[in-house]
Amino acid sequence: MFEQDDDIVERMIRQLRRPVSIDPGLDARVMGEIAAAAQPGKRRTWPWLAAAAAVLAVMVVAHPWALDSGTSRADAFQFVLVAPQAGSVSLVGDFNDWDPARSPMHTAHGVWATVVPLAPGRYRYAFLVNGVEWRADPAAPNAIDDEFGTPSSVVTVAGRGS
Amino acid sequence: MIIVALLLATQVAVQDPRLERLDPETRSSVIAIVDSAREMGLPSEPLVQRALEGATKGAAAPRIVAAVRRLAADLGTVRTVLGARASTPELEAAVAALRAGASVPVLASLRDARRGPLTMTLSVLADLVASGVPPDSAAAVVLALAPNARDVDLVEFRRAVERDIALGAPPAAAAAVRVNAGARPGTAASRP
Amino acid sequence: MGIDRVETGDAELVRRIRAGDIGAYGALVARYRDRLGRYAVHMIGDREDAEEALQDSFVRAYRSLERCNDPARFGAWLYGILVNRCRTTGARAARRRRLFVHDVEALNGTPHPDAMERLEWTDAVERALARLAPEYREAFLLKHVEDLEYEEIAELTGDGISALKMRVKRAREQLQKFLREAEHV
Repeated sequence: MFEQDDDIVERMIRQLRRPVSIDPGLDARVMGEIAAAAQPGKRRTWPWLAAAAAVLAVMVVAHPWALDSGTSRADAFQFVLVAPQAGSVSLVGDFNDWDPARSPMHTAHGVWATVVPLAPGRYRYAFLVNGVEWRADPAAPNAIDDEFGTPSSVVTVAGRGS
Repeated sequence: MIIVALLLATQVAVQDPRLERLDPETRSSVIAIVDSAREMGLPSEPLVQRALEGATKGAAAPRIVAAVRRLAADLGTVRTVLGARASTPELEAAVAALRAGASVPVLASLRDARRGPLTMTLSVLADLVASGVPPDSAAAVVLALAPNARDVDLVEFRRAVERDIALGAPPAAAAAVRVNAGARPGTAASRP
Repeated sequence: MGIDRVETGDAELVRRIRAGDIGAYGALVARYRDRLGRYAVHMIGDREDAEEALQDSFVRAYRSLERCNDPARFGAWLYGILVNRCRTTGARAARRRRLFVHDVEALNGTPHPDAMERLEWTDAVERALARLAPEYREAFLLKHVEDLEYEEIAELTGDGISALKMRVKRAREQLQKFLREAEHV
């Protein structure tokens, strides 16, 4: 209990030097932001961003929970997949009725991205590449129970008071 | 009144246009399961989503129906444990935990250990098992955390464990549940 | 993320990015994420704000990549961007301090005295750090946790070496005091 003065600071330094694990989804968010701005010859604001903003506006009006999630980042989730060879990528999951037409992803330089507003809850989802190939999200936990023979991932959104 | 409510519930399932993506036979089987689930007070949305997932993935009808039926049964089980006031996200997370190997007594203990929503707690348990942590270890660790950790702490814990596993720690060690009192583990995985 | 994890040096990755291979930036992000994240988390003291600062810094670094004069020292240049970004968050986050449950080892088994003591220590460390003036905390973390040389710290912060040395010394003195106080509660 009675350490040398210096030792206690050294102990603190050892504690602080421990590795800190950052959300690996951060990589995807960074790449998504960069890709969104990288389209040559286009305006900075993508059509889908405007559409997402419109959806968010609707969600805020219709669902009061959307107002108190803190920062705007808490409501809108960006999903990113790096797939340079893909011709098309869709995001499908419990939040969009598994409908590939609802959240087509947009690409720049092989980085595919889309933004989806999510209410608190736990969602299974996956990426559908070229309309035929199912891919889980490498940056997310795997869904355990896969009853249809294809990989899926999980995103859990905390709610109020969590 | 009850009959009217049941009729209304049936109406809801029949009128859900999303289910039209299913072929007629599959659709009627799924509707029947959804309706009886609603009669028991279970949420229908997870069941509809599971059916739609199967439809999108081109699964055969029997597989879709079996998946929806199994989910309905599991929702019933977890609702018995968590109580009628459990939210749909909590129930879905509880099903994931159940399928990850958490027993009913474990779910009951988690329910008792924590004030507030259980969604993240149960989700993290399921996610840990998905990363390879043995179910018993995952359950014990989450039970230890449940009383005091906030949701954001649980998420950080899960990421830390996944990171250690990615760096080569055996999953059980990464979650490292030690029962011996006073034992100080020397887990290499968490050292810089 | 589908990016090849080949051991390529920073300079080569920067070269590729400048030639148009955006995906190569993902490799740099993955390489520096946790290390820079550690600094951001301890400097800002709030996990969400720290990740936001980190994300912003990575994006900012990408957008100003042509200003990185020595690609082989991309990491140090990136640190400079992060340190500056953390300075603007500091005031906002100062009112919130949280217990970080990121120490897996501390949570073994059911909470028994050792584990609780461990959590209290982690908490005491973060609280002591939070009580330091931002410029002291910054200098202390860069020197003792991130292991930078005074010359490097001077370069990225724009402060003089002797001023930095004084801040680190004062930081140590104050931390000693705060930690002792925490012990006797």
